[in-house]
Amino acid sequence: MSKIPPDLKYAKSHEWVRVQDGIAVVGITDHAQKELTDIVFVELPAAGRTVKAGEPCAVVESVKTASDIYSPLSGKIMEVNPAVVENPGLVNAEPDGGGWFFKLELSQPGELAGLLSPEDYRKQVGG
Amino acid sequence: MAKEILEMAVETAVLELPDTKTLRFKWPEGHNPEFKTGQFITVYWPDTPSYKRAYSLSSCALDRGFYEVTVKRDGKMGTRIVDWAKPGDKLFVIPPVGRFLPVYEPDKHLVCIAGGSGVTPFRGFVREATRRQLATRITVLYSVRTPKDIIFNQEFRDLEKQNPAFKFEVTCTRAEPEHQWSGRTGRITVDWLRALAGDMSQCVFYACGPNALVEHAEHMVIQELGAAKEQMKTEKWG
Repeated sequence: MSKIPPDLKYAKSHEWVRVQDGIAVVGITDHAQKELTDIVFVELPAAGRTVKAGEPCAVVESVKTASDIYSPLSGKIMEVNPAVVENPGLVNAEPDGGGWFFKLELSQPGELAGLLSPEDYRKQVGG
Repeated sequence: MAKEILEMAVETAVLELPDTKTLRFKWPEGHNPEFKTGQFITVYWPDTPSYKRAYSLSSCALDRGFYEVTVKRDGKMGTRIVDWAKPGDKLFVIPPVGRFLPVYEPDKHLVCIAGGSGVTPFRGFVREATRRQLATRITVLYSVRTPKDIIFNQEFRDLEKQNPAFKFEVTCTRAEPEHQWSGRTGRITVDWLRALAGDMSQCVFYACGPNALVEHAEHMVIQELGAAKEQMKTEKWG
């Protein structure tokens, strides 16, 4: 069974969000990394880029496939995680911890209400 | 004993479609591995050893002296292979593994559901069955966007003529009048699947392709047709 931490919000496209003081940390879920299997490449957006909710802004490749990662919320990319670029396997090892992708300064905080709760995400992934 | 990772030269590079290429990796002199049809190899370029991709074999275990994989332009590896790989290039190859294996029993019916480049392992399935002149029935249900996206169309049509137990069934999800496609259109449906599968008790179902297609196939086979989970094998490609 995949881990679905109770303190996070989730996008249908399998990203998680942790919000503190108007900054959202974004990564991909444990379920997503298991489906992808061994991740071998991560491409992140440039810091400073403005993204809209649902916009593809990063890429992950596993031994099986390449997938776009979508920003769950609108805002400005404040920081990206170089550790996952240098060591893509970190996303498999710590998907909701050290394997985070980017931090976003929210421009539309109201969009948070449209994300899934842990319970709803669990229903979506059948876990 | 751990299987040996070997550097292999690309012997041929055939563009099957504008975005899909088959690479044939020549085995080194004296190499004669045991492996099974339906398994996958993992490859990487010498200059990027940490960046590996796994591809189902599109050749079969009776093909000796080489492995073939058929790769779509997808991600960095797929782009490099389709746009740049040529005979003489060398890649490292991690030997075949995997359990997506054909059950070649005389009374069985292998019902193979494929989307896009998910059809590639089924070429190996049908090749082996045809060469061995097996009685095992094989039906490939192949979903593509347009007729231009059918990989191995001619080879599957030729195998159909050689092997009376094999049927190649294609449906196009986005066929336009300009394609002049007179075949089936729309997604793979449970009614179509039921009609082609026949006696469910003898079926072994396979599904290979994008996650959405494989999950749709699992739902149809397990939930709607009521097959046992043990009757189905899947390969998801994300």
